[in-house]
This record gives sequence, structure tokens and C-alpha cells, in this order.
Amino acid sequence: MVKLTLIARVTDGLPLAEGLDDSRDLKDAEFYKQQVKALFKNLSRGQNEASRMSIETGPYIFHYIIEGRVCYLTMCDRAYPKKLAFQYLEDLKNEFERVNGAQIETAARPYAFIKFDTFIQKTKKLYQDTRTQRNIAKLNDELYEVHQIMTRNVQEVLGVGEKLDQVSEMSSRLTSESRIYADKARDLNRQCW
Amino acid sequence: MGTENPGRPSFPARTAATPFAAAPPQNVMPFSSSGPLVGSEASGFRPTPPAAPQPTVPFSSSGPLAGSQSSGFRLPPPPRYNDPSVPPPASNVPPTGGPFQRFPTPPFPSTVQAPTSRVPPVGQPIAQTPAPPVSFRPQPQIPPVPMGAPPQSVNSAPPNVNVPYSVSDSSFPAPMTNFQSSFPGYARMQSNADLQPPPMQSPFPSHQGGYAPAPPTSSTPFLSHQGGYVPPPPVAAPLGLQSRDQMQYPGSGAPGSIQGLIEDFSSLSIGSVPGSIDPGVDPKALPRPLEGDVEPKLFSEMYPMNCNPRFLRLTTSGIPNSQSLASRWHLPLGAVVCPLAEAPDGEEVPVVNFVSTGIIRCRRCRTYVNPYVTFTDAGRKWRCNICSLLNDVPGDYFAHLDATGKRIDLDQRPELTKGSVEFVAPTEYMMRPPMPPVYFFLIDVSVSAVRSGMIEVVAQTIRSCLDELPGYPRTQIGFATFDSAIHFYNMKSSLTQPQMMVVSDLDDIFVPLPDDLLVNLSESRSVVETFLDSLPSMFQDNVNVESAFGPALKAAFMVMSQLGGKLLIFQNTLPSLGVGRLKLRGDDLRVYGTDKEHMLRIPEDQFYKQMAAELTKYQIAVNVYAFSDKYTDIASLGTLAKYTGGQVCYYPGFQSAIHGEKLRHELARDLTRETAWESVMRIRCGKGVRFTSYHGNFMLRSTDLMALPAVDCDKAYAMQLTLEETLLTTQTVYFQVALLYTASCGERRIRVHTAAAPVVADLGEMYRQADVGAVVSVFSRLAIEKTLSSKLEDARNSVQLRIVKSLKEYRNLYAVQHRLGGRIIFPESLKFLPLYGLALCRSTPLRGGYADAPLDERCSAGYTMMTLPVKKLLKLLYPSLIRLDEYFLKASAQVDDFKILEKRLPLAAENLDSRGLYLYDDGFRFNIWFGRALSPDVAMNLLGADFAAELSKVTLSERENEMSRKLMRILKKSRESDPSYYHLCHLVRQGEQPREGFLLLSNLVEDQMGGANGYVDWILQIHRQVQQNP
Repeated sequence: MVKLTLIARVTDGLPLAEGLDDSRDLKDAEFYKQQVKALFKNLSRGQNEASRMSIETGPYIFHYIIEGRVCYLTMCDRAYPKKLAFQYLEDLKNEFERVNGAQIETAARPYAFIKFDTFIQKTKKLYQDTRTQRNIAKLNDELYEVHQIMTRNVQEVLGVGEKLDQVSEMSSRLTSESRIYADKARDLNRQCW
Repeated sequence: MGTENPGRPSFPARTAATPFAAAPPQNVMPFSSSGPLVGSEASGFRPTPPAAPQPTVPFSSSGPLAGSQSSGFRLPPPPRYNDPSVPPPASNVPPTGGPFQRFPTPPFPSTVQAPTSRVPPVGQPIAQTPAPPVSFRPQPQIPPVPMGAPPQSVNSAPPNVNVPYSVSDSSFPAPMTNFQSSFPGYARMQSNADLQPPPMQSPFPSHQGGYAPAPPTSSTPFLSHQGGYVPPPPVAAPLGLQSRDQMQYPGSGAPGSIQGLIEDFSSLSIGSVPGSIDPGVDPKALPRPLEGDVEPKLFSEMYPMNCNPRFLRLTTSGIPNSQSLASRWHLPLGAVVCPLAEAPDGEEVPVVNFVSTGIIRCRRCRTYVNPYVTFTDAGRKWRCNICSLLNDVPGDYFAHLDATGKRIDLDQRPELTKGSVEFVAPTEYMMRPPMPPVYFFLIDVSVSAVRSGMIEVVAQTIRSCLDELPGYPRTQIGFATFDSAIHFYNMKSSLTQPQMMVVSDLDDIFVPLPDDLLVNLSESRSVVETFLDSLPSMFQDNVNVESAFGPALKAAFMVMSQLGGKLLIFQNTLPSLGVGRLKLRGDDLRVYGTDKEHMLRIPEDQFYKQMAAELTKYQIAVNVYAFSDKYTDIASLGTLAKYTGGQVCYYPGFQSAIHGEKLRHELARDLTRETAWESVMRIRCGKGVRFTSYHGNFMLRSTDLMALPAVDCDKAYAMQLTLEETLLTTQTVYFQVALLYTASCGERRIRVHTAAAPVVADLGEMYRQADVGAVVSVFSRLAIEKTLSSKLEDARNSVQLRIVKSLKEYRNLYAVQHRLGGRIIFPESLKFLPLYGLALCRSTPLRGGYADAPLDERCSAGYTMMTLPVKKLLKLLYPSLIRLDEYFLKASAQVDDFKILEKRLPLAAENLDSRGLYLYDDGFRFNIWFGRALSPDVAMNLLGADFAAELSKVTLSERENEMSRKLMRILKKSRESDPSYYHLCHLVRQGEQPREGFLLLSNLVEDQMGGANGYVDWILQIHRQVQQNP
């Protein structure tokens, strides 16, 4: 079952649209939204990520696809079929590109396409129940292959940037310390003479 | 939901800096570095006349004034005039006034212009020696500190400079003169037109006022200050300076000189000994606001970059510089804010989108960038005008400064030139995506609601508004109805007609369906229409008399809590079941006059207040429409509107045939007017002052953040100001109102209104700059709040007492010097205050006692008056009365001759001619009064065959004759000019009791009525109290 749906521009992480009453019945909606925002920020920093990815977080799982510099992300229960989730995102993507494709690059304010939320709402309902005939058919459809989509953990993903920062910080500290060492050594050398 | 300071602590402005902080807020970079400027600022252009007392020097501002004005006025030519090098006064007014307006301090323009004016040493004790005329060039030896400092620092830097304020009268003019220099227009006018009587509001009279109290000894310096106004020999006071009012109320026996001095106040002579039978007051001479509300001009003229006064009005534009001065101002000190006031066509608030830089705000006090900030350091820094912190200019916002210190891109930056702008809010200002407009209707369908016809009108009106609801295609809509049970309606778009679900368990409310009770209007349009079409017939045979209002409210809350939005409640019965049930505590005669009286006017059950708090938290605004002919406890129901930023509309004894049109119009306006959603508002002001109390319909989220789930153009909020420091060291106080909201189109915006007001050291100046509309507005809110905690009489007395105190203070200021013994004097700006005070005491929420207004009407009027913008409030307090018959009989062919609407009559029965036809209009209804001896022709033309019938049963409609068409045109015109409420038309014939009484006579505020005073008595009473020694 789909919990959250967000659409953002990859280049700068600007949110473009969001499902309307997504956070209903969801206790930690704010927490997960924060994670999503961090994720978008990571993406906007240009870290090369796969265009399709699943990320586990707590009892839920994020699925996202990146297409045309727009990231479509949804959060579902872990038990929700991955295949359906990606089908859902594909549906959103097709419609979003059809309706707003031309203006995505020029959007200047957050949620510039908030009107899209009605479509998100409608589509979400179609995917709500995994046992409907329509969804079962989709599940059985072998055309859409999701097996190769990588699944990672959210800590891992969000931690990447952090670790890189740490490494670069350490190396720069090493550089400066060694320079100090060199200076001191030279001084010492001079004194000895 | 949004917080205005996302993730950042907001620093109160007052923590900013010590009073004498060297960094003056308005440091204008280009000037600061140059000695001459400062010097000139200090000295002003004012050619120091020999007699001039030095203390004035610090208030450089006095200089410009003298300089600029002096030319025009004949006056003993002080040496300076002989000096050829003195620039012609007119030139003191910088021709380039426009651009300079950027700088907050009025003196600047002049300084720029005349850097050559001589510079008296700042802060130097009285130098009787005239500054050498030659020294028009800046004196090099001026101490650098004061020089670098912009104008305010002149006040602040040398502590001793402040002394003159309190000690010597002569220093008073200083602040006023400041203002002067800020309107080049005035100065110019003065110089050209010799002795032209200045407009009342103009600083000139004020100037003199300031002088008036001066002890005779010090008179010499004054005169010299005044430059041209009052030539040293008092006898020669130019008649032209007499105020219009003086002439209007003749009888001032003061000699010419005094006339010159007192021109800024009005006086009424009261001939007889107080207490004698003969009132001794000429009722015709009493001031009356027959022109309606006049927006304070001074406010925007002095600071042309201020926002329009329809958005923000201060009770006085002269902010007192000390607590002791503030305590002598007995009127409210504060502001009335109407953040979304409707602008006339073609005037729009510019929208600014800081895409790349984020919104530019002060790091410390979070003030938004505005026209009064100053750029320094070649454009790399900007100084906050409120807390005077120096901020960095973000790289993308950088622009070079030109030679005068202005940014070169100024003309492309509305936020730096306009007092009102809207910023597009970035994501940090959102807790969630912008919500869609949501309308949820909770409709009473019990038997009395059915019988009144309310349901039908409501259903039809909503249906007719579906196309105009804001926010297409996202708008959401939902309905629930209730009697002893709650009915929900599934409006899923795939259905052909709505499904009704009944929940009768009132103790444990649940929502029967997770979705589809609140639906997207564009998708479920046909289902919604089907529902509205069938709603009236669905319940037409309902005989249920109960009302499970509380549980229904809870249910509506549960449905809406996901999104928030507007909850419209249509209530026709006293809530009788479940939580929030109310007792028929009724309007008990015996309670009036006792300590328990106010209990009638406050909510009985805590449920309502708690519920209101919850609703606000979830961004739900409640509008209560009440219709009952019996007691429905508006006091309790209205609480819901009060704390959620909503409104109460009460139609006592609703019958669709009579009130239908009114309900239709007002509901339609409620649904279609531009609304701001999930908003918060904060007003910031400079250091040393602070807003401490807020009055209106909202919930305070923190000490100064107003939570407003919905705001529209018909809502205003009032707030009161206090001084936090004993002495204000700045010359200007800035105010900034920021409303963060979601527009119906789904954009999140911040509307910012900025205004500056001068700090004054003189009580007279405060009076002069008072805005009676704002004063009355705050006053009435305070009085209505007082009725919630004490008796009506106490509330009325407190109004009277404050008026008396303020007039007494004013009298002390002027009367003694001018031997005005028997006359009542009041400031020109507040000449209507006594009358409005009287009207307030006689308004529905405050009038009389048990018998004078039904409790529910009293409460609903109180709730309404708490939200009204200034203009509407004044109209309600002092309605217009217009004679129509003469206009009808006039064979004027001009179709659109609406001048008649401006010919307002005083509200007294003596103005009602029994041969006439009158229109009374208080902004909420029309009463058309037919004189007994009115020509039958007129009546027949207007009413047709019904003209002789009892008028309560007659409705007005357009007939086939010119007269009737004329009347209808007038009514239409009046309604159009004031669309926020529908004026229901009542017809009444002279002598038709009791209707004439409650429709018209009791509203003629100038007449004596029951126990209430008439205008003349009221004035006498106030006068007597004013004259009494404490």
C-alpha cells in the first residue's frame, strides 16, 4: 500500500508535487518525509545513482525512478509488491511528463505542479488493493522486469555522502598536519646546526 | 502549519542593542562617511537665528523645516535671510525627492540637498552666538562620531541631547520638523504660497502646538524656531493660519496670536455654567464625521514608501519616545491591520520570487527586506531597519550602488520600493505541500431549520457558487447534516448519486468512511450537484427537534483534520444532545447589573473553546451561520469562530422570504472571496517597542504569532503597543506585518507590509498625528472584550473615562496658556472621538441593558465588530442618513448622479422631516423611513398599491417609474460600494411603533434615548468631567 508519493526535480531537489493526504494513518510521516528530503538532496548533489532503486527504511521501503531529471518516489509497506510500486511510478511519470513536461526546467517555486496531486490521488487508489484483477494481471505480466533493481538500506544511502565528507576531511587534515611536520622538522634541523 | 521562522529561533528585536548603540539603523552609507551631511543634518538648514537656543541643534530636523518654510512666511528676517549664500528655501526641498525617499529619515533629502548649510557643533550647550553665516560649508572640526551617525544617532549619541526633550519645550519642535522635511510637497507649497492655511493635518499647526505650552520666558527662542509662522509680535498672527475649524466654531475669543497657536485643535464654546439647564452648546456646531472614514494622509505622505493605510493603520503615527509620554496618552496605542484588504482595481501587490537567493531577511530579527533597509559597503551589506544589524547581501542579490547610495537595480526591485509586497515562499516555509481550498458544510436539518427555509437557500447558494469556488481544480468539498443523528454523504465520483450514512451513536463518534466524504469538486461535480438539488426535499418532512451539534462538530473535525480548510456551520437550534449541549440559560433580566452579568456573554461550556483550539491546530476555520428565532447561545457558538479566525453571521428569526437574499449574498461572498489558507501572521516593530496584546478573531500560537486558518479581505486585527525602554533613542519606528499563507491557487506566499512612523517627544504631536478611525477600532475591541468580563455599564464607563482622560490631558496641554476657560477643546485629529465614543456605547454589543438588545444579537454583533476593518466599523457606528425625496422630485436627467449619497445628515431625529423620505445605511442594512406627511405620490411610486399597507409586510421591488428606478439605483450603488455584507432593506413609516423604534430611532445616536445620552449631553458630561480637577 502506498504511503507517500513525492515528485522532485533532481537538479536542485525542488519538490514539484506531492500526494495530498498521504500522511493519513502514518505515525512518523514527518520523519520519513525528512528522509526523503535528505535523499533528494543527495541526488541533487549529483552522486551517481541508479535511475531505479529501492531503499529500505524501517518497516517501509522507498522506491524511486529518475527520468528526465525528475525523481518520482513512493514509500510503501515492505510487503507491497515491488513490481506494482514501480508500475505505479511509471504511471505517474508518464502522466506527469505528458502534462508538465515542458515546464519542469523552468519551475521556480516549490510545488509548482501541486495540481498534479489529484492525479496522484486517483492513481494511488487504483494500486491500493493488490488483489484486484487489474493488479494481479500486472503482477503476472513478465514484461516489466524489476529483479535487477538494487535494494539498499537508507542508512547506507544517506551515509554515503557523510563518509565521503569524512574521508576528504581526514585527508585534508593529513595534508595540513604533514605540512606542519615538515616545517617543524626543518626548524629542528636548523636549530641542530 | 508553516512556521514563519522555519527552524530558526526568532530573536526579539528588542534584544538588539543598547539604547545608545552607535550603529544607527538607518545608516545610509553614502552619507555616513561625509562630514557635511551629518553636520547639515544636525544643523539643518536652519540658519541659526541669534536667539535660537542651542538645544534644538540636535534635532537637526527642526532645521530643515524652518529653512524650507521660512521663505514663504513673512517673519522677522533673521540674519540668515540676509545672507545671500543661503540657498533659497524652496531649494531645500530636493527636487529629486523621489529617489531619496528610500531613506527612512526625513531629514535626509534635505541634507543631501544642502550639504552646505552650516553646521553647528553637535551637542554643544546653548550657543546663543549665531553660527557664522559664512559657514555654509560643513565645518571640518565636527566630531566624527556624530557625523558618521545617521540622524537618529543624533538623538542617541550624546545622552545630554535627550535632555532637552524632557526639559525644555523649545526642543519639542524637533521631531515634528522631521516630518516636515519629509514632504517636499508641503514645503514647496509653503514657500510658494505665502500664508496659505496649511491643511489641518499638516505639521505646521502641530508645530505651533508644540510651542504653545511653552512658558513665556522661552518664547523668544520659539519664535525664532518657528521661522515664519508666527512672527515675533504675536499680534501679527496671520489670519490665514487659522484653522478651518476655528472658523467653523466661532467664539474663540483668543487674541490673534493665540489663534495662531491653537490652530491645531478645535474648540467648542460652552457658554453656560456646567450643570445649568441650558446646554449652551450649539448642536449644529458639534463635529460630525459626515464624510465617513478618512484615511490618515500624513502617514503615507511622510513616508511615501509606507504601505497603504488600508493595510495598516496606527492609532497615532507619532510614537511616543518615552514611557512617561506614553502613559499620558490615554487612548490605545497600537495598530489595526487588515492584511488582505481589497485593493481598488488595477492596484496589485507585486509578487517577488527570490529563486536563487532565498528570501532576504535579517539574520537576527528575521525582518524581511523592505524599502527602509539601507545598503552599505558598496552594496555588499545591508542594514536592517528594525534591529539595525548589518547583514551580508547574498551574491545573487548584489547590485552596485550609485552615487547617492541607491542600488542601481532599484526600479526592478519592488521589495525595495513598495510598502507592500508578496514573496513566493520556498520550501522552508512549508510544513507540507500547499493545501487545496477545502469547504465543509455542516447543516442543521432539524424541524426549525426546515421550516425557516434556510436549507433551501443554503443549498441553492452553494450550488450556484460551485463554479466560483477558488482553487479549481483542486478544491475539495464535503457535507454533513445533523439533527439527533449525524448524516454523512459519500460523494465518490463514480457514484451517480450520493449515499447517505447515518451515525446515531453520539457518545463515540466515528467517521463511517475513510475517503469520499470530502471529495474533489471537479471530479465529483455531478454527485455534489445531485446532492444539493435533493437536500431540501430530503428533510422536508423531518420532525426531529433535537440538535446533536457537538458530536456533529467533532465528526466534521475528524473528516477535515487531514487537510484543514473552512468549516461552515448552519445552526438553527440550541445544541441539545451529546457533548457541547447547551442550556437555555437565556437572557435573564435579573442577572443584569450584577457581577454575573458577563457570564451570559461568555461560552458556557469549555467544550467550545477546546474544540476551537483543536480546529485551529488543524488549520480549520469555522464560520457560524445562526438562524434561530429563539435563544441559540451565540456566545458559545461564536467561540468557535473567534479562535479559528472565522466569523459569525446571525439572522435572527430567519425566514427565507425576507432574509433569503441577505443569506444568499453573504454566503456567496464567503465562498467566493479570495481566501488565504493555513496562515500565520506576525507584526514586528523596531527595538524599544513591542506589541503586547492582540484583539480580533484568531488564536495566538506563541506570544506574537497569530494563527489564522483562513483570512480574507473582510477581516482586520488590532494590536496594542507598549514601550519596553524608558526612552526611545531612534527617530523612527518601523512596523512590518508578515502574513504567511497559502493562496487558493496552491502557492505559498508571504505578504509583507512595511511602514515607518516617527518618534515624537511631544504629546501634542501625538494628538496631531492621531488616527481617529484606528483609535475607535481598537477602542471598540477593548470595550467588547470588557463586556466579556464585566458589566455593560462598566464597559461603557471605561470608554467614557478614557476619552475624558485624554481630553483632560489635552486640555492641560493647551487650555491654561490660552485662557480657554469655558470651552471644550480637542485635537483636530480626534474631533470625532467623543461622538464615536458615544456611538460605541450605543452600539448593539454595549448599549443599555436587558431590554435594549437581545442577548444573541448583542453577542453576534460583538463577534462581528471584533473583525471589522476600520472603514466598516466607523460606518456601523455612525451610519449614514440621506434624504431621498428631494432627489426623486428633482427632474435631473443624470442617471448616475450619486452625489446624493455623500450628503449625509447628522443622526438626530430633528433632521427627519415628516414630509421626507430617508435612507439609513449602516453597512449591514438599509432602513427607509417614510415621513408621515410624505407625498402619497412618492410612496405610491415606490411601493405601488401597497403604499398604505403596513410596511413590515411590504418588500421593495423595482417598479415601472422613474422614481422607483432611481431608488433602486441608489440602493444598488450603495451595495456595490460595500460588498462584504448585504444590506437588507427595511421599510418603516413614521410613528409605526415599535418598528420605528428599534429600526431607526434607537440608532440615531445623537438623540437621547432611554437612559442613554444624546450627543449634546454627552459632550457636556465629558466637558464637565474634563474640567473637574482630579
